Amino acid sequence: MKWKAPSRALPAAILVVSLVITPLLHAQQPDATLTGTVTSPSGGRIANSVVSVKNLNTGAASTTQTDSAGRFVVPNLASGDYEVSASTDGLNAVSRVTLAAHATQTVNLTLTTQSQPQTPAGNLPNAPSSSKTEPSLSDLGFTPEQTQANVKEQALLDKRTRMLKIHQKLGLITAAPLIATIVTSLGAGGKHTSNTDRTVHMVLGAVSSDLYFTSAYFAIRAPSIKGTSTRGPIRVHKALAWIHGPGMILTPILGALAYQQKNNGEKVHGIAAAHGPVAIVTAGAFGAALLSVSLKF
Amino acid sequence: MNKPKLIALLPFVLCTLALAADTQWVLQQCTLTYHVSHPLHQTDGISHAARGKGICHAGQCDFLIAVPVKSFDSGDSNRDLHMVQVTRGAEFPMVTVRTRLLESAGNDASIQADLEIQFAGQTAHYQHVPFQLTKQGADVRLSGTIPATLTDFKIEPPTLLTLPVKNEIPVRIEMTWHPTQ
Repeated sequence: MKWKAPSRALPAAILVVSLVITPLLHAQQPDATLTGTVTSPSGGRIANSVVSVKNLNTGAASTTQTDSAGRFVVPNLASGDYEVSASTDGLNAVSRVTLAAHATQTVNLTLTTQSQPQTPAGNLPNAPSSSKTEPSLSDLGFTPEQTQANVKEQALLDKRTRMLKIHQKLGLITAAPLIATIVTSLGAGGKHTSNTDRTVHMVLGAVSSDLYFTSAYFAIRAPSIKGTSTRGPIRVHKALAWIHGPGMILTPILGALAYQQKNNGEKVHGIAAAHGPVAIVTAGAFGAALLSVSLKF
Repeated sequence: MNKPKLIALLPFVLCTLALAADTQWVLQQCTLTYHVSHPLHQTDGISHAARGKGICHAGQCDFLIAVPVKSFDSGDSNRDLHMVQVTRGAEFPMVTVRTRLLESAGNDASIQADLEIQFAGQTAHYQHVPFQLTKQGADVRLSGTIPATLTDFKIEPPTLLTLPVKNEIPVRIEMTWHPTQ
């Protein structure tokens, strides 16, 4: 029997096969694993180092951190070429590996002081992408300083926030004895005041001062972040500290003088007479400082 | 060449044409605005520093938009530093948004995009986020709002006077894309 080439079936078969095969050729099973360690130039394992893994074929990137033993694991990766980089405290390491499907590949990174590869001159925002499939972060022309993790700065920011939270809480707590001090001042400064009234006022004032200076300590000692200029309502908050800060030093000194004069049966006179007005300005500035960060203006 | 052979070659010809017709898009202008609600006041943080690219291939376009976390300005440096701290912005300095769209979507008045967002060391997916499209010559202008929340990225809510902000942080995006070859 002589075989006769089908006139319509063959093109249709080729069409179906090509449509089925094309997506399969691009399919990748993300089941490879990358493991490794990050070590310092002296050979010590580095904990909490940020490790970035970038698929050079697709541009897809993921980030992880080393554990306390300096190890890292990145599971569920597609097979292909990868750039693995690690950075800690200005030290960097970059390595390239090829991952096979279903495989577990180990890469050990030793940090050095060498700078990261710079962004190629062609990778400006308007330059064409080098990839034909997906754009990657390196296509966008950001500087390495913008895209690299800075663990040291994050630690500084964390410390800063912790200290400022304490500052904020103590500042709020300080407001309570401060208000009580102002209220008791009505009975402490008149002609018919008792020694008890004055003592209560003095003790409350001392508690306010102690809390205030503890709160101020946390604000002053909170680390500053390089390259940050002060903008917005926080400027008002800081400026008011130049009023209530000296006021909080001066008010107890003047109060002690006034307390002594009263206990000696004298009328409050001289510089001690400024205790009341200085205290009012100080308390006013303190209240305004609280409001400056609480209300939007 | 006879007709059956021509039909047989059609898919290969179409593939070749599709490869030749690859186009790229560049993000020309972009404004990203996050909104934070606190019992005492509302805050918007704005960034104009986003960059983005789109690569179209075989009828589909892959877009990437990236913006430095530090570039957001809420009008108060203390608040911005606090935002960078809670979002671990020094450790994970970039926010990236990826999406895949049909190339023909550029002709629609509105689209629904599936977004993959990497932020604060986490990846979140948002399905069917609506965007409005307007054409300005060859450029395409898109605007929409991503219904992001703090819990999507495992961010501890920042507090002011011990009161936390709301979990919802909707991010408004307005961008203009320009086609290039």
